[in-house]
Amino acid sequence: MVTKQDIDNFIEKVPPTPAILRETMRLANNGELSKAAKVAESDLALKSYLINLVNKPIYGFRNEVSDIGQIFGILGLPSTQQTLYNYMLTLLSPKQWELFDLNEKTFHELQANLSLKWKKILGYLNIDDKEIESSVSLLPASIIVSEALFSSAKKDVDLLRSVHHLDYNTILKRLCGTSLFDICVTIAKKWDMSEEISEIVYSASGLNPSNNPDIDNLAKWMHLLLFYELSQPIFIKASLNDFIDFQIEYVEDIYEEFVQVMEIE
Amino acid sequence: MRALVKNGIGLFTPQGFLDGDSTASFLSLEDIEATKNLNVDMVLVSLKKVVFFNKNGLDIFIKLFSKVRQTQNISVGFCDIDHKKYVAITKFYNNNINFSIFNTYKTASLFSSSYKNQNKNVLLYSNDKSQRTAMAIELHDYGHNPIVCQSEEEFLEKSANKSAYDNIIKDTYLGQMGESIATRVTGNAVIYTVSAYLDAEIGNTFNIAYHNNSLNVGFRLFIFDAYKVVNMNIHALNFFSRLATSAAEYNATICFVGLSKDKIQDAFQDTMEDAGIIFYAQMEDILDNKELLKELGASSAANVKNKRAINKTVVAKLPEFIDATVATIEMMTNSKAVKEAAEVNAINIKEKDGKIASSIGFYGDIDGMVILVFPKGIAKKACELLIGEETDDIEMILDTLAELVNIVGGKVKSLLHDHGVNVNITLPRTYHSIDALLEVAQEKKGVQVDLAFNNDKFLFFLTR
Repeated sequence: MVTKQDIDNFIEKVPPTPAILRETMRLANNGELSKAAKVAESDLALKSYLINLVNKPIYGFRNEVSDIGQIFGILGLPSTQQTLYNYMLTLLSPKQWELFDLNEKTFHELQANLSLKWKKILGYLNIDDKEIESSVSLLPASIIVSEALFSSAKKDVDLLRSVHHLDYNTILKRLCGTSLFDICVTIAKKWDMSEEISEIVYSASGLNPSNNPDIDNLAKWMHLLLFYELSQPIFIKASLNDFIDFQIEYVEDIYEEFVQVMEIE
Repeated sequence: MRALVKNGIGLFTPQGFLDGDSTASFLSLEDIEATKNLNVDMVLVSLKKVVFFNKNGLDIFIKLFSKVRQTQNISVGFCDIDHKKYVAITKFYNNNINFSIFNTYKTASLFSSSYKNQNKNVLLYSNDKSQRTAMAIELHDYGHNPIVCQSEEEFLEKSANKSAYDNIIKDTYLGQMGESIATRVTGNAVIYTVSAYLDAEIGNTFNIAYHNNSLNVGFRLFIFDAYKVVNMNIHALNFFSRLATSAAEYNATICFVGLSKDKIQDAFQDTMEDAGIIFYAQMEDILDNKELLKELGASSAANVKNKRAINKTVVAKLPEFIDATVATIEMMTNSKAVKEAAEVNAINIKEKDGKIASSIGFYGDIDGMVILVFPKGIAKKACELLIGEETDDIEMILDTLAELVNIVGGKVKSLLHDHGVNVNITLPRTYHSIDALLEVAQEKKGVQVDLAFNNDKFLFFLTR
């Protein structure tokens, strides 16, 4: 169904960070947002992504925002880095989704929802750190990896799952000894993302708690946030609700706070 | 979302947050239709991985339960709930609970007629006296040993000693239980559960096609669990007599358990005995007596009168069967198959040692049986994906092998469907040894295909 070779082939195909993005990121990290905006303007796909993103209803702007400098200004430095990472991830996403009933628009929506809600959580936790804010952008990589590795074996996976409750992460781990989140970490390394980002997302699988209590706490919030998002009708219909196993015990101690922060009634 | 079917229970496992909006997305109309048509004796929704739910979130599943019960008289409900969730559900539906709630899936299994293991020591408590009694009666009927606590204090005291019990039941509520003819396989005996008053309706509720194909696959002992039967009329009598006569053609035995003399007339029992039906007081009288089991044919299928030849229609579909089998084993073992030889003949297994086998029947537009002979190594490797670890426990391997053969059957069904051929599949049967398989299959002619997976020889046999 999926072999180690398939995983290696997939990782091989992960493109390095494009030069324009690297430069935009470098300038943004130096606090030179206007220069970063000018560089970003020259990549039309990036420009279009940024404009579409901030004009989504969830951002709440009344008038269309189309100037990249203005967009970076609105986002601020931490969110700009996060948004650039989100864009990098879209470069990895398939043109045609087969395993999951997603498309470019719904995938961007998932990214936007995760990003904004993660920001809300970090606000509640009094954390102002661009690496931590950016970490959520790597989370949907697990979905892209599942799509890439399992889409050609969809019927087989369906049959397997009709007799035994197995999520994609478990199937991959048992077949190849590698988890979806191991692959996410490899992608993060290839894209020179910080180790902190990798560690948070790796622990957010709910299966590999971090020894660092701060990272572990963030991973719990991220795990619960992921399942909160995957319980939205659009993503249930996309068959994302059970693509990995929800570790309910892992998030037990933060659940009440989460409900408060997300204003769930 | 589709239910996962195992041991006669269809189980939904939603994750995360359930509210009115999200739950509606879990179940499409097709999902509801598919659930209505499941051949199970219980449909459950596990709330194990649900962190939040409200009444609107559960209502969609309640509607599903109601639709399932309109078509099939089976048990429905929620399982894997903690005390907080139990309180919330009972509060939501107050005095209008017509579904069941089980604290765990394991508890629910105890009330399913497909549950294989009986004689479990079960500690139970409910603050509702009638529930305590109902649960105790049901558990006793299913062959378990219920220990009922009359107060919460008694329950807390006894439940502290967890190792003394196989299962502890609390936060459980029995709604309407199922009354359909459930089927389960214990060892190689097929057990049908019948209840209440048996009349002409038995002809509609009993799945005769399934029964015939179980005979064809090699099952030779059929037990009717009739503890809950109160009486029967002449139509039911005629039905069982005809069933026994047709079973005799396969040298199969039909037994009734728990149908005491006060439930049916002497003349009825005489007629049934004349037709070859044997009566036993207790299920254990048969299942615990290995000699008797052997005598009744549960481990032997020799002398089959109805030997059927493989025909062109089935052979024409051979590529689909091979593809389904190879693809499944390749998928489960991550290895490539090489086809070595194919011939039409009686099954020919050169090396018998270190091999186990499984068979699954199919019926519909075409009918027949697929037999798979595995070296233990391949079987173990294929099962690792499902179990998640290496094991030498042969019972676990055989159980998992049955799941694997179910996948093969499902794939055959889907491939044939793509070619306009509709079939259903029977429960898989497993064999500890090649000798046990040959008792069923040695005189059957069919197509044998020898395959190699990483140099391990694997045998595929298609017959009728």
